[in-house]
Amino acid sequence: MKKTVQWIILAVAAGILMFFPALFGIYFTNVFLTFVIFALFATTLNLLLGFTGLLSFGHAMFFGVGGYGTAIALERIEGLPLILAVLIGVMAAVALALILCPIMVRVSGTAFAMLHLAFGQLIYVLALKLRDITGGEDGIGGFDIPPFSIPGVVSVDMTDPSNFYYFGMIVLVGSLAILWFFTKTPFGSIMVGIRDNANRVDYMGFKVPQSKAVIYLFAGGFAGVAGSIYALFQNLISASDAFHILVSFVPVMMTMVGGIGSFFGPVVGAGIFGILEELTSRYTEQVELVMGLILILVIMYAPMGFLGIVQILKEKWFGKMSQQAGAEEAS
Amino acid sequence: MKSTKMIFSAIIAICCFCLVAVPQTLAVNDAFDPGKMADMSDFDPSNPVTPSGDTIKIAIVASFSGPAAFVGEIFYAPVLWAAHDINKRGGIMVDGKRKKVQVIRADHMSQVPQAKKITERMVLQEKVDVLWGTNGSHLMKVINQVAKKYKTIAQCTAALSDDLYDHKNFTRYSFMTSFQTDQIGRAAAYYYGQIRKKEKKFYILCQDYLFGHAMANGFKKGLKQYFPEAEIVGEDYHKLFLTDFAPYLTKIKASGAEVVYTGDWIPDAANLAKQARQMGMMLPFAHTFLDEPNFLHEVGIEGTKGLIQIGQYATTNPNFKNAGQIMVYRAWNNLWKNKWTKPFNTYTFKHGPGGGNIGSYMMQTYWLLSVIERAGSTDPEKIIKTWEGDTYQLLNGKVMTMRAVDHKAIQDLHAIEYVPPEEQKVNFNIEPYRWYDGCSGGGPVSRIPADKIMPLLDPELKR
Repeated sequence: MKKTVQWIILAVAAGILMFFPALFGIYFTNVFLTFVIFALFATTLNLLLGFTGLLSFGHAMFFGVGGYGTAIALERIEGLPLILAVLIGVMAAVALALILCPIMVRVSGTAFAMLHLAFGQLIYVLALKLRDITGGEDGIGGFDIPPFSIPGVVSVDMTDPSNFYYFGMIVLVGSLAILWFFTKTPFGSIMVGIRDNANRVDYMGFKVPQSKAVIYLFAGGFAGVAGSIYALFQNLISASDAFHILVSFVPVMMTMVGGIGSFFGPVVGAGIFGILEELTSRYTEQVELVMGLILILVIMYAPMGFLGIVQILKEKWFGKMSQQAGAEEAS
Repeated sequence: MKSTKMIFSAIIAICCFCLVAVPQTLAVNDAFDPGKMADMSDFDPSNPVTPSGDTIKIAIVASFSGPAAFVGEIFYAPVLWAAHDINKRGGIMVDGKRKKVQVIRADHMSQVPQAKKITERMVLQEKVDVLWGTNGSHLMKVINQVAKKYKTIAQCTAALSDDLYDHKNFTRYSFMTSFQTDQIGRAAAYYYGQIRKKEKKFYILCQDYLFGHAMANGFKKGLKQYFPEAEIVGEDYHKLFLTDFAPYLTKIKASGAEVVYTGDWIPDAANLAKQARQMGMMLPFAHTFLDEPNFLHEVGIEGTKGLIQIGQYATTNPNFKNAGQIMVYRAWNNLWKNKWTKPFNTYTFKHGPGGGNIGSYMMQTYWLLSVIERAGSTDPEKIIKTWEGDTYQLLNGKVMTMRAVDHKAIQDLHAIEYVPPEEQKVNFNIEPYRWYDGCSGGGPVSRIPADKIMPLLDPELKR
């Protein structure tokens, strides 16, 4: 019975996603795509924070490098296919993770957070100063978005918001699915083991630094996917929108509000932030003030985030029901 | 005999009037007519009258929050004024219906993603007819992209980078009614090289983004053209919204510069000048946006003396040339004095249509509304057709021409020298004969003719 309900919900959700542009129009389609981009970005951070216990204050660098990789490639290489442009962005983010991981996998806690802050700021400044490559404060914009094409089969115009929605959703939801499966593999258990007790994982014979490196590459690479799609979606990427410290805090806040540790926590967090921003910006120009207040309330009263509250309520409700059922059975 | 003389004199007077006034009127497609202005005594930007129903919607896409929040208000008041005036006249006849003008605030928070989001919301949800903006060329680029994508008219009133209308970024849906970076730079160079002929050593300090670099390039190009013996003794670019200018100021001090050329806008412009004066550096700034009066008052008379502003809404002395101009100015200034509340009763808003950037934003909006009226439609294609090649005379007599090929406004600019209050009478020729009491303001004004500073035309732009 429970499974049937699950399948029905899944089918309805898939249907809504499939017909989203037709149902809600271009504006809300764009809002929704932004949400999914940030949901993926926050989920990649949660791989580090929630699953492995590594707090990063510089995760935006992977997001930004992914975006810049794609944008620069499209600007400089004529006739570059869309998929290849995305791949270049992703590979740029993976390359950055590869460069950093020999240092990063050997530290944790405050050192990990602060090193990321430092590298994040370094890349931010580089993006501002290397004007000829990155476009400085203006960033890179207005580059041609190539059509999605399979030679001789299909060519879809990606400047059409609806078409781009489907492309973006396939890439982003596909990435989320890969990450979800990743957490469900035995390697996912190692991640949680590292978070809970890295020494024990080491004693069990697993190589902690190497394991951390793999997680790091996954987190960085998929943050690059989010960044790449973001750059294509906005048709623009700039230093302040890609590398600024506040961009690094965005997934941290989303994860905290949604629920640390749960795979879907950051997705829920991104959704909450998206909806709140959409609603509050219609009534006030002080959106960030509202967001800040919400974060304070969450940290004070619901440190496990929205999904934590849901879990507590579930346990209370179902716990009472099962207790009642047990009592009835006993009587 | 006496009556014959009188008739003869009258004929001569009429002929003279025709010789002077008629060609001027004929030369422009439309002009701002102060005589038609409605009674504005009920206008209050803090309590705007918002028309409902089928309206002509203008979205002011600007910073209404964040470090540049005040800039949004500077745009808002003059645009709202123009809309209020037109609405009180009964609106504009478009598509067979008389419609009023509705102004909507769209806060881009000085952020690119937010700019895209809010602009799309304005187009797709609010169904605005015109996107009006903005502070920041990188943000105007986003607005133009959205305008192109959804075929909506955009009016670039405050972003000045020439690149916005080069072959790569040009969109026929966007019109640049503001002056431009290259034009400003060359105007400053023309003033120093051909008119003032005093200082020769310049230091360039601009914001490190598209606009700042374009401002600097324009000035360098202008110096080569109009002042080859000038020397650039230093050049720096700082990040936006910087709070500590000390390192740059120290370098400027050591460079031996006689003038600092800056394209900075507030809050950077204000912080730069304030810190310079606090550090005892009294060098004059050649600028465009160092005219925000609240900051000018903080710096005081001595600190603001000698600033040279390249202004887009000015005229040769005296500033007030006719009764109509004075009437519009008084209408605004009286409301500022007696009716408005914060922030609209601060120094920034004191002079409105009298001169400066607020006057310019107001006149640019009147031009837009005039174009819509003459197009008789809010259909972008009809607006484009009317606006391309159009000429419009502003309240102060200045004529703007919209170059059809790249949608940039051709216009004279003016170099305004800031002098202490008692010397401002030469410019501010009506009571109280000064712009401000607590700071220096406009004095001698030099005209930079439009043909010396024609807008940069990208040769690769093929239309």
